[in-house]
Amino acid sequence: MITKKITPILSLLLIWGCTQKELPILSGTSCDNVISEANIEHPRHTDLQQLLQDLVRDGLPGIQMSIRQDGRNWNGSAGKADLAGGQDLLACDITRVGSTVKTFTALTVLMLQEEGKLTLNDPVRDYLSPAQLEGLENADEATIRQLLEHSSGIYNYILNLEFQTASLNDLTRVWQPEELLAYARGKSATFAPGSDVAYSNTNYILLGQLIEQIEGKAFYEIFREKISEPAGLEYTRFAATDPVPESIIRGYVDLYSKLEVIDATHYSGWDYFTADGGLIANAHDLALFMETLFTGSLLSDVSREEMLSWKRPSGSNFELFETDFGLGIFRMNTPYGAAYMHSGDAIGYYATMFYFPQQQTAIAWAVNGNYGKLDQFSQSREAMERVFKTVFEE
Amino acid sequence: MKWKLMYLGICWLAFWSASTAAAQEGNTLRISVFNESTSIPFTHVLNTPVHPGIQVGTDLNWKNGDHYRLYPSISVGYLFHRDLYQAVYLNLELGYDLQFDFGLNLKSAVGLGYLHTFNVQPEFQFEDGSYRQGKDRGNARLMPSLSLGWGYRLQPANPRSPEIFMMYQSWLEYPYSPGFIPLMTHTNLHLGINIHP
Repeated sequence: MITKKITPILSLLLIWGCTQKELPILSGTSCDNVISEANIEHPRHTDLQQLLQDLVRDGLPGIQMSIRQDGRNWNGSAGKADLAGGQDLLACDITRVGSTVKTFTALTVLMLQEEGKLTLNDPVRDYLSPAQLEGLENADEATIRQLLEHSSGIYNYILNLEFQTASLNDLTRVWQPEELLAYARGKSATFAPGSDVAYSNTNYILLGQLIEQIEGKAFYEIFREKISEPAGLEYTRFAATDPVPESIIRGYVDLYSKLEVIDATHYSGWDYFTADGGLIANAHDLALFMETLFTGSLLSDVSREEMLSWKRPSGSNFELFETDFGLGIFRMNTPYGAAYMHSGDAIGYYATMFYFPQQQTAIAWAVNGNYGKLDQFSQSREAMERVFKTVFEE
Repeated sequence: MKWKLMYLGICWLAFWSASTAAAQEGNTLRISVFNESTSIPFTHVLNTPVHPGIQVGTDLNWKNGDHYRLYPSISVGYLFHRDLYQAVYLNLELGYDLQFDFGLNLKSAVGLGYLHTFNVQPEFQFEDGSYRQGKDRGNARLMPSLSLGWGYRLQPANPRSPEIFMMYQSWLEYPYSPGFIPLMTHTNLHLGINIHP
């Protein structure tokens, strides 16, 4: 009897379950791709475009790249901005660039020092309340500099497995900074402040709060006033004001390592309100930012020197190249010489930006796919060498 | 459509088998609804948002003592994890109940199951240098599990009494994302009823 009653219910559930939800098609990018007009003037333009097409043919959904070299700029793209709608990815499209924002955060803090509003050796507790630092081991002793160079030892909330599973459990959840910091509270520090370096997103959430405390407004407003507008970063914005802009390219994840991707455009909700991620930009703006940071007037020479003071993690086993930690920036020893860089992931997106001081060249690329098998094409050592070789070798 | 019908047919057959087996003397039919979550086991009891699931199975009569029951069980189930995947599974468990005279029993079970997951949104597959929307053939998984909980016989003196139960099932999804995330931990909180058909 019960069997007869339950069978139709089970069947209905199964049929309902087999129904896939429809995805909205990208509304259409409105960007006028003027930034690619001068591409032909770059001596490697054919090779660079071929590289992007090869990367897409290897498995990336889409990629955009920007090179600023010898006064000549190249901004290219290949692949799709939206797999469902078949829309081509353009160099002017906007995308998520994740943790590259940490360089913006560090630059802002250095600017505040130049304005006399803080000094890097001040303890963080001078600016943030005991409630903000409660339960974060080392936060009472750590200085602003130690947050910037990841030498505070404060636990990285992203490594907390409870956070990782909670994030997967509710993919469209929008997280507030306090909710993220809760995953670091009560966790043991990695080492004593200043004794080593280890990447921790928690440091940069605190720095965002510190900037807001000093300036009395949202940290991303300060980024806009101090960095984006003066540097002419026309495409750059922060997720907090519009987390998923209509014109943002779709992001995809290869969650099961099979080159079978699903749309993850709405899955980066932990990234919207903190200074450790959440930047929306494109490869063009990231390359322009790096060029301006290292050759322009955003920062004094003294502050730039301070930013480029390096620490190497102990017991390093480098996945990519030998890497040293600066203030919101890394130095990688590549086969083409030292490069200052930062990269960033969001769910479905990856971006990276480099500046090669010897060659005075800025390189940035952004892709709308990550995890699983996709990462090898955009963020592995081999992928980076492939790009550098195309840019630097005749 | 063909594979969906096949999938439906297999599930129906499994359910029919479970209910037929339950009709044997001493066996019970167990039905539960549950909330699934990706979470670290034993950190939270109820996680939100709710990812619903339903499970039907049978507890086979094996060894009974004055205050215990040892029994194998077989169950089939379906779960829907919003935004990420849906799955069907077949699970074999060995259960142990510690029974009290007033109708309460404490339950535990270890299990090993087969899980097949499907995306809940279109999947784009890479073929011949580009992505195209394709048929999702799903992913095959093992699901070892450990469950703890309690049950209560509505008529304590009647051995054929219906029993309501709550089980906290922690389980692993393996493999998950080879070369990236080797396995995923899940918990299911079941609320169900055990009956003698």
